[in-house]
Amino acid sequence: MAGSLLTAAGVVAGCSSEADNVVTLYYALEQYVPHIVATCNEEANGEYQIVHRQLPRDADGQREQMVRRLAAGDTDLDLLGLDVTWVPEFAEAKWLAEWTGEDKASVEEDTLEVPLKTATWDGKLYAAPMNTNVQLLWYDKSLTPEPPKTWEEMIEMSRDLKAQGKPYQILYTGAQYEGLVVAFNSLVNSAGGQVLSDDGTEVTLDDKARRALEIMRQMVDEGLNSPSLSNAQEQQVVDSFSPGDSQAAFQINWPFVYAATRDAKSPRFENLAWTTYPGVGDNPGRVTVGGFNIAVSAYSEKKDLAFKAARCLRQAKNQKYAAICGGVPPTLESLYKDEEPIAPCDGDTSGKRQSMVDAYPMRDDILKSLKTAAVRPLTPVYQNLSTVTSKILSPPGSIDPQATLEELREELNNAVQSQGVLP
Amino acid sequence: MAILQSPAGKKTAWTLVDIFVIVYALFPVLWILSLSLKSSETLADKSFFPTDISFEHYETIFSADVSLFIRPLINSIGISVIATLIAVVLGTMAAYAIARLEFPGKRALVGVSLLIAMFPQISLISPLFEMERALGLFDTWPGLILPFVTFALPLAIYTLSAFFREIPWELEKAAKMDGATPGQAFRKVIAPLAAPGVFTTAILVFIFCWNDFLFAISLTSTENARTVPAALAFFTGASQFETPTGSLSAAAVIITIPIIVFVLFFQRRIVAGLTSGAVKG
Amino acid sequence: MTTQGPNPAETAAGSTAVAEPAEDAKRGNGKKNGKSALSEGKRAERRLAWLLCAPAVIVMVAVTAWPIIYSLWLSLQRYDLRFPDDTEFVGLDNYVAVLSSGYWWTAFGVTLAITVVSVAIELVLGMVLALVMHRALVGRGLVRTVSLIPYGIVTVVAAFSWYFAWDQVYGYFTGPDDAPLTQTIPSLLIIVLAEVWKTTPFMALLLMAGLALVPDDLLKAAAMDGANAWQRFTKVMLPVMKPAILVALLFRTLDAFRIFDNIFVLTKGQNDTSSVSMITYNNLIKGLNLGIGATMSVLIFISVAIIAFVFIKLFGTAAPGSDTEGRR
Repeated sequence: MAGSLLTAAGVVAGCSSEADNVVTLYYALEQYVPHIVATCNEEANGEYQIVHRQLPRDADGQREQMVRRLAAGDTDLDLLGLDVTWVPEFAEAKWLAEWTGEDKASVEEDTLEVPLKTATWDGKLYAAPMNTNVQLLWYDKSLTPEPPKTWEEMIEMSRDLKAQGKPYQILYTGAQYEGLVVAFNSLVNSAGGQVLSDDGTEVTLDDKARRALEIMRQMVDEGLNSPSLSNAQEQQVVDSFSPGDSQAAFQINWPFVYAATRDAKSPRFENLAWTTYPGVGDNPGRVTVGGFNIAVSAYSEKKDLAFKAARCLRQAKNQKYAAICGGVPPTLESLYKDEEPIAPCDGDTSGKRQSMVDAYPMRDDILKSLKTAAVRPLTPVYQNLSTVTSKILSPPGSIDPQATLEELREELNNAVQSQGVLP
Repeated sequence: MAILQSPAGKKTAWTLVDIFVIVYALFPVLWILSLSLKSSETLADKSFFPTDISFEHYETIFSADVSLFIRPLINSIGISVIATLIAVVLGTMAAYAIARLEFPGKRALVGVSLLIAMFPQISLISPLFEMERALGLFDTWPGLILPFVTFALPLAIYTLSAFFREIPWELEKAAKMDGATPGQAFRKVIAPLAAPGVFTTAILVFIFCWNDFLFAISLTSTENARTVPAALAFFTGASQFETPTGSLSAAAVIITIPIIVFVLFFQRRIVAGLTSGAVKG
Repeated sequence: MTTQGPNPAETAAGSTAVAEPAEDAKRGNGKKNGKSALSEGKRAERRLAWLLCAPAVIVMVAVTAWPIIYSLWLSLQRYDLRFPDDTEFVGLDNYVAVLSSGYWWTAFGVTLAITVVSVAIELVLGMVLALVMHRALVGRGLVRTVSLIPYGIVTVVAAFSWYFAWDQVYGYFTGPDDAPLTQTIPSLLIIVLAEVWKTTPFMALLLMAGLALVPDDLLKAAAMDGANAWQRFTKVMLPVMKPAILVALLFRTLDAFRIFDNIFVLTKGQNDTSSVSMITYNNLIKGLNLGIGATMSVLIFISVAIIAFVFIKLFGTAAPGSDTEGRR
């Protein structure tokens, strides 16, 4: 009985095999993706046809689905949308095809250096940057007309505001998840340190990391964060800042804050201002880079078509559409100077033709941040590193700079060697 | 309860109890309904009831591509119903044997189903995935029905054999002595006694399948077989950092409606079955 | 594999075995022919039993046998998907690594606490709910229907509702500055609440199935003999309901120990709220360390087997043969 069931099922599955020119794209469902897929399919004129297979909303879910299938040598996957932290892992596991020759040259042209670094592992290019992202410091210009340049200044301003009974809180992503790792990485790099050595084999947390931990602890001790710091992800951060009676004066968050605050009809929108990530002491701010890369699966049976399709998907006009209609900053430097409006976004009934200038009033600060941005540690075991780091740093109020530093060193060492148990 | 002697007092007491149970059961349901009816602007107003009713989140999920919500709903219903039928039929057969027949291997059977009921499903994901890929079952209805049936069977077998053990089988003999054929004895005496158990089991199994999250998210990759619980992970907010609270709530309400309909439909049978009682005669 | 389960199985099957000889004798007597027919009947009975069980067994074994064996095998390997070249047989090293890890024991303690607390509450509430559903004079159908809803609702959906209820931005339970889901104890209480709310009706359903088997005349007789409500409950109803209670408790305990969906949505295991399944998920699916992950699966399996064994043993000794004797 079970046997016949199996056979029947096999026949059903067998029917769904695809045409030879179909290239599958495994990518999170973001509203700009259907548009750029359609654009490329039209341009390809039958040479290839990209079919978008949606991935879940959350990053862990996306990675999990792709990893499970790649580990089984699945040939159905052609193009993969990868978070910037996954490239070393996928490359080391031999799941990605290397970009070479003309394909490689096309990716290197005009692409910003830091995003490109996230697509590179072991000196080889394994992916092409699709979009990028950096956090900015958002503040209320009615409270602090002149924004702080360093964390020390920000803490002082916050303290003063609190004493005056004005909104004072410093918001950042302090929940036990990737966002806390980003926050920590930005602080460590801004203090002049680094989490791992460049080749990803050694833990290099030192006095500078200690300084980062001290800042995180100090804010909690002085009550300058929101009481719900240890529950705050990007959404909570922006939602705690928006209400008219919010106690927040500063938030470290991604550029979506601008549109989100505007769309929520927040009374604070008119005073919302931004600047680059603050430094630590004499060191300039170095913010952690985010974003997505696109890669070709090593198991793909249509690699040539896949490379072509990937190049199309990330070409300037598609990145521009994604930036304006999807809110993801481009990886091509020239687009930051581009002022040409595009046709109205799909589904936008107002018929508004927007340009980069309309959508990204903060584009100069994004570009400036990108030039000096820090990457998260490049290592195949990034996932372990991240899980352990967020566990140890959570909640930020429990940080004891020296002890936490030592714990981080030891546990990260284990993680880098893929030993030990994840929390 | 015994303190309240007067019929009116009893009635009031029971009404209070009813209200308490209803509030208990519906509280989170009403909350998610309320969230789904709040407009984006008032979503975070923390009031239990929406101040203004807005259907924007429902419009969002239904105007989106069918693959986002409508197709998964069809998959959920189809897969759960088929898996329930199979599990209940197979479970009834096995449970009858366990409750009524003497045979070597009974303990082994009970042991095997116990083992399966106990096994952490999470650890089956990777090997099951590889198996299904090899057999072409991945991302198909049978690919989900098989594990659903497998993990529902221990539940079905246990519940059913507990029921069957309680059935006064001597009634069957009595009927036969009164001149009924074995077929009549089964139809007129045993089947009505067994039916409530079978229906209760069917409900448990259906809900088990409807609920599944882990298999659905691991053994599907497109709208071919993706069920609603798995599809919820594909909802997106205004940007990658924002939770689609409104549309999640709307979808939650929609997928609760079939459950309510289903419960209403089967509830009558359980009430009839259980109250007419197996051992009254 | 079957050698791992004989003990719980023995007890579970044991209770039926008590009933069998009497049944067989009755059936035997019902037939016209004497001894030879009996043994032929026995053979036919066996054949029928095997035929009836075969489909269920085939499906269950086909789907689970390979994964289970594979998990056992993986637990003895160093096997990290990101380092396929380093795969090797390491014996019990993975078990040493897991059992000496503080993270594992924290998760274990948390899981045990959630299981004990939530199943205990569920049993009491479930019994009350079952009595209400069975006995209510007013709105019985309504109560039954409504209380099936928590059980029917998809766990993930219910968990989202609780999440939004306690969330600092959307929640009606929280002020702008409270975030109970970021503190260990409040988080655990909310997890237990979500679990109890969701599964009490399951308990009640199974218990009600047992309640329906309590003969009304027996209760009336007891009442006439002067037994009060509590005595009728403990002396008449409980013994008859014992098999139903056993099934309900067994399934709920096994289930609660593997709690995953609720924690996944409510806290993702943050702030020491990981259950053993959650930590396994992190190691297996997120960390891609199949060796460690499989080891944890095996340990969960063993823990659950021990719990079930102890559990059934205790229950079995407390109620010898009562399930068949009580009603005759």
